[in-house]
Amino acid sequence: MTAKNHLGGLKFKAQFDLWGNSLPRSELDWVVKLRHESMAKFLQFGLPGPKVEAWKYTNLGQLNSGNYELITSADNVVNEMGLLENLKGSKVIFTDGFYNKASSTIESQNGVKLLSLNDYLKDFPEAAQKILNKNDDDSSLQSLNTALMTGGYVLFVDKNTTLTAPIQILHNTTTSSENKSIATKCFIDVQENSFAQIVEIFIGADEQNYWRHHVTEAIVSENAVLEIYQIQEEGKKAIHTADTHVDVGQRANFKHYSLNLGGKISRTEIKPTLKGLQANVDLRGAFLGRNGNAHDVFTHMKHLCPEGTSDQIYRGVLDKGGKSSFQGKVYVAKDAQLTNADQSNKNLILDRNAEANSKPELLIYADDVKCSHGATVGELDADALYYLKSRGLDQNAATALLVEAFVSEVYEEIKLEPLRSKYLELALNWLSKEHKK
Amino acid sequence: MLEIKNLHVEVGGQKILKGLNLNINDGEVHAIMGPNGAGKSTLSYAICGKPGYEITEGSVTFKGKNFLELEASERAGEGVFLGFQYPVEIPGVSNINFLRAAINSVRKYRNEGELAAGDFLKLIRSKAAELEMDPEMLKRAVNVGFSGGEKKRNEMVQMSMLDPIFAVLDETDSGLDIDALRIVADGINRMRCPEKSILVITHYQRLLDYVVPDFVHVLANGKIVKSGDKSLAIRLEKEGYAGLGIEENVA
Ligand SMILES: Nc1ncnc2c1ncn2[C@@H]1O[C@H](COP(=O)(O)OP(=O)(O)OP(=O)(O)O)[C@@H](O)[C@H]1O
Ligand SMILES: [Mg+2]
Repeated sequence: MTAKNHLGGLKFKAQFDLWGNSLPRSELDWVVKLRHESMAKFLQFGLPGPKVEAWKYTNLGQLNSGNYELITSADNVVNEMGLLENLKGSKVIFTDGFYNKASSTIESQNGVKLLSLNDYLKDFPEAAQKILNKNDDDSSLQSLNTALMTGGYVLFVDKNTTLTAPIQILHNTTTSSENKSIATKCFIDVQENSFAQIVEIFIGADEQNYWRHHVTEAIVSENAVLEIYQIQEEGKKAIHTADTHVDVGQRANFKHYSLNLGGKISRTEIKPTLKGLQANVDLRGAFLGRNGNAHDVFTHMKHLCPEGTSDQIYRGVLDKGGKSSFQGKVYVAKDAQLTNADQSNKNLILDRNAEANSKPELLIYADDVKCSHGATVGELDADALYYLKSRGLDQNAATALLVEAFVSEVYEEIKLEPLRSKYLELALNWLSKEHKK
Repeated sequence: MLEIKNLHVEVGGQKILKGLNLNINDGEVHAIMGPNGAGKSTLSYAICGKPGYEITEGSVTFKGKNFLELEASERAGEGVFLGFQYPVEIPGVSNINFLRAAINSVRKYRNEGELAAGDFLKLIRSKAAELEMDPEMLKRAVNVGFSGGEKKRNEMVQMSMLDPIFAVLDETDSGLDIDALRIVADGINRMRCPEKSILVITHYQRLLDYVVPDFVHVLANGKIVKSGDKSLAIRLEKEGYAGLGIEENVA
């Protein structure tokens, strides 16, 4: 039954049989039906194994063999761990994958609808069925996510509306997350000429072993802008998979920033489809790994229309025991003439016992396009290091300054000042943690 | 201040310095001249602890301390400054952040507290002005896209910020236009005092007209082969190394 090179994933089926009916909104028949259909779809394929090309650097064997239990409810106690201060705007908090109403604050604005997924399923069943059903899953993990979803959010931004402040989404955990799979899902729809920014933080404790699986489906309509800023600081033992699928319309603009720091395994998938003339996508991210962190960034940029532009900049810093991979796939359809697609992935290796993989893949069917890609793996520049030391900086301070410069390139265009400095602060903290060892 | 005895240095398996002796007392300015490839920069790196410069024999003592035991950063902390022949470009690190990190590192080494932000800015502005450097350049990445002369001037700004007690200036005069040479020479002369010493490495007599040395040495084939006062530099300029009976490097 399992597809070639996939793992069975039967333990999730067993868990679903036991607890599926206790998942949120089981009182709604259509939700229960959708969950069952999605579980069946998942089982047709199973979990992608390491022999599947796109997963060759990320081994989900642990998900298949481990007995990850479902989590069916959570305490609605205040838990703001990980929330960014000095950012105005709505704050939506998910604790162990459930909407934490007690900790959240939703500011209302004309033309903006922001609500928890479970409220949406109940209060707008028709619209909800529409988006969930049209959801043509492109991976078995996405089907599993639909089968097991515990919560999430829905954001609608009407035409000609500019969000007055970024929306902060925080995903944190409690000790109840031990040995659990946490599936969250969200939908974002930014209508014509509108503007939205989302800051999304994933955080967990080092003690707990959990799998967080987060799926984002987004639409950015004509002339609209959507910016997503992710920070991933999961616990040491966690598996983190975050998939973002986004349709980008005519002259629309999608930006995705990420920083991956935590987790035993992290996988960030971003799949933008440029569906309108002159659509623009910028992807930026850094991943910092050591001591058993394995970070994997997988992007699939689909240029379907003419004159689209996409630009990807990813930087990896790998220290002792850290591992990473960047796979950047760019597809340019026959009709997508005058596409401009760039991609750059540079990796810095701080220790011999570290690994960085980089694999660009270009599939270009139009003849008049400009596409570039560059990938490097290297060590710190010895001359620069010595120059700094000759001015009094010790090994740690010199390394920190050079790594900061290497990483800061990713975030330098961010206009939200508290966020840009947060990214840099986290990167620097990561470095100084190393020095304490 | 600095005592170098029988120094042997190998780089990439090549013997470059072969028993060099040099003594520099407090308050003295020494100049080293010598043919290309003689080992002048090698000497400066050996004094300042560059990895890859293997000391196979001899000693370097600074203010009574065995300098060879110290890391490059510790040598800077002790008050030694190296003006690079080829200053390094560091993309992504602004000059001003670099200088702040440098100054605070050195202060930390000396158990002094960090310089307050305002004091730091005041200091850097005055030093940049002294060396007639456009303050805009402080915001730019270290040496990235700087012209040859701008890089050398930047070295001097760093030197005056760090206020060393001993400076090795490796061809700091190369690549400077006539006005810049004067500005840099003034910068070097400002450092001169009974407690501080300077070693300038140069190919040209011209710098020595402005920065008058107490001693001039000729380094060839890995050793000091001739020493004298400032008149030695003048003779060299006129007669060349061959005229003084000094062989060009035989590699
Ligand atoms: N990594 C290396 N491997 C082998 N030889 C090296 C290495 N680095 C330097 N050398 C050699 O060491 C010798 C001395 O070099 P050094 O830079 O000290 O000369 P210099 O006297 O400063 O010359 P210049 O006047 O041209 O600046 C040169 O012959 C150079 O080629
Ligand atoms: Mg030299």
